[in-house]
Amino acid sequence: MKRIEKKLKELSQDNQKAFVGYIVAGDPDLKTSLELMHLSVDSGVDILEIGVPFTDPIAEGPTIQQAHDRSLENQTNLQKIVDLVGKFREKDSNTPIILMGYINNFLIYKDLINRSHDLGVDGVLVVDIPGELSLEDYGIDNQDLDVISLVSPTTSKDRVKEIVKNSTGFIYYVTLRGVTGSSNLDGNEIEQNIKYIKSISSIPVMAGFGIKNSDDAKLLSSFSDGIVIGSSIVELIYKNSENKDFHEVSDYISTMKNAIR
Amino acid sequence: MKDNLPDKDGFFGEYGGKFVPETLMYALNELEQTYKTLKDNNDFNAEFHKDLAEFVGRPSPLYFAKRLTEHYNTASIWLKREDLNHTGAHKINNTVGQILLAKYMGKKRIIAETGAGQHGVATATVAARLGLDCHIYMGSEDVRRQSLNVYRMKLLGAEVHEVNSGSATLKDALNEALRDWVTNIEDTYYIIGSVTGPHPYPMIVRDFNAVVGYELIDQSQESFGRMPDSIIACVGGGSNAMGIFYPFIKMDNVELIGVEAAGKGIETGEHAAPLNDGTPGVLHGAKSYLMQDESGQVKGTASISAGLDYPGVGPEHSWLKDIKRAKYVAVSDDEVMKAFHMVNKMEGILPALETAHAFAYLDELMPKMNEDQHIVINVSGRGDKDLNSVVEIEDIKL
Ligand SMILES: Cc1ncc(COP(=O)(O)O)c(C=O)c1O
Repeated sequence: MKRIEKKLKELSQDNQKAFVGYIVAGDPDLKTSLELMHLSVDSGVDILEIGVPFTDPIAEGPTIQQAHDRSLENQTNLQKIVDLVGKFREKDSNTPIILMGYINNFLIYKDLINRSHDLGVDGVLVVDIPGELSLEDYGIDNQDLDVISLVSPTTSKDRVKEIVKNSTGFIYYVTLRGVTGSSNLDGNEIEQNIKYIKSISSIPVMAGFGIKNSDDAKLLSSFSDGIVIGSSIVELIYKNSENKDFHEVSDYISTMKNAIR
Repeated sequence: MKDNLPDKDGFFGEYGGKFVPETLMYALNELEQTYKTLKDNNDFNAEFHKDLAEFVGRPSPLYFAKRLTEHYNTASIWLKREDLNHTGAHKINNTVGQILLAKYMGKKRIIAETGAGQHGVATATVAARLGLDCHIYMGSEDVRRQSLNVYRMKLLGAEVHEVNSGSATLKDALNEALRDWVTNIEDTYYIIGSVTGPHPYPMIVRDFNAVVGYELIDQSQESFGRMPDSIIACVGGGSNAMGIFYPFIKMDNVELIGVEAAGKGIETGEHAAPLNDGTPGVLHGAKSYLMQDESGQVKGTASISAGLDYPGVGPEHSWLKDIKRAKYVAVSDDEVMKAFHMVNKMEGILPALETAHAFAYLDELMPKMNEDQHIVINVSGRGDKDLNSVVEIEDIKL
């Protein structure tokens, strides 16, 4: 069984929701990223989403954009990120890892991406490729890699059907109209839309974008299989990068994990 | 020769497409549907052409450049005078068309990105005319270089948002406009300023600018009794070039030449010439030639002209390059400044620095032409906006 599927099965058998945590690889540096990956898992993250930095990340708000910029100053690239995953796997072979980024970087490294499952990567989430297209058409076609797609409040029902067909692992439901880190959640709309996805497919649905505090996390996890948190974690990492004391990050993650229990 | 592209998915050969975050797909599909129904609608076209005639001042003249022709002493040089349009550049053709789309779609809020500020001014102008709320994104580096246009946009009632991220130029302004659109997707119309971005924009912006090429067919016939031998246009995103090239794509004996910004020189790497020195990649929703490094990160650009200072280019140009239907060359900042002065002194025309790129290619082209031939330069815009920059570049005390 694939790692993502296995993890989500275990959680649901325990009546638990999944916590997907996002960090940008290479922010503040790759060595610290490795530490932060383990720390996140120890504090309650079930699935790691590793941001691949890009010069022009059009779906990101200022917090994550700036993390991309900081990471790029360290010459982070996909090769180094796959190496990072390899190092993580030396100590953790259970936690699923998804690489999240933009198509231009994935195209340049498509051979590496096709091999990356053997190197410990479980899935890819390409933000700027429409979900009804298949990554296969762009040369990324390893059956072992899960392809996570986004569905948003503006996705039409017909398109949801197509997108669900091309997705494995889980669907990432974007909970607001906006970039990462915004805040205008509409609980009712989110509930309706996730219900619709659930009515046509058995694929798990994670809710993310705009989740900041325990109340958001609790609310959204009540109609989804789990939540994704990015900007808040990235912000706390940045805040503590100077002294590299990340207990604030681990406290935050524990609080959010408790909120969705 | 095919001129019926893009295909139904928005591709010109392998270039183009819709590489955008999911939230935008709805808006792009809505725009595509609207454009499909309006494109051949008589009322829509009548309104568009009435605005072009009465508000923009079309047709723009085809003007014989007598002294330039005598200077090179080979082919006749003709100028397609987009600089005489209202607001001073070809950019207004596109905004007049797109604001009509916005109106038919009932959108109340208009956003746009701008580099030189010409597209920002053209957008603020048409938004003012309809009383719509208008927001322009502009890199802080360009705000500085093009401060006159910034003031003009404000006079027109637009709000100008300075963008400090990345290189603080056109590419970053586009990123920020896309982010605004994702956030305000339902009530906002994004008027993109060149033949770039996700489908259907490259097609829509080309079609609205193609009036330039269609006029040129008739004017060439009237002025010298046949079609031109060569058409030259500068290429930033590529809208003025695509507009004048498009009706001629299927006329194989008309040479199409696009001139990119070589900045400090192609060999220095400090330029803005993706078609001359780039590789295919995906930026701002479309696959096209792109200035990028070996990791797929977009490279910084350099050009004295804010409107050409962009690492990507419209996908249809990438296709025309690959099938060898158009030729793409590049000229350096120094060559551009020389041409800028030449056009002022010999023709009494103040060209935009972008436009001066097209003129700068004459030194190379003209010696190869002969006296029976006719070439046309698309004078994409006037240079009033650039006077501050020129004064700064040449270190002149006013
Ligand atoms: C006068 C003028 N010409 C050309 C351009 C470049 O744009 P495009 O390549 O889309 O025509 C600009 C852009 O600002 C401009 O202002």
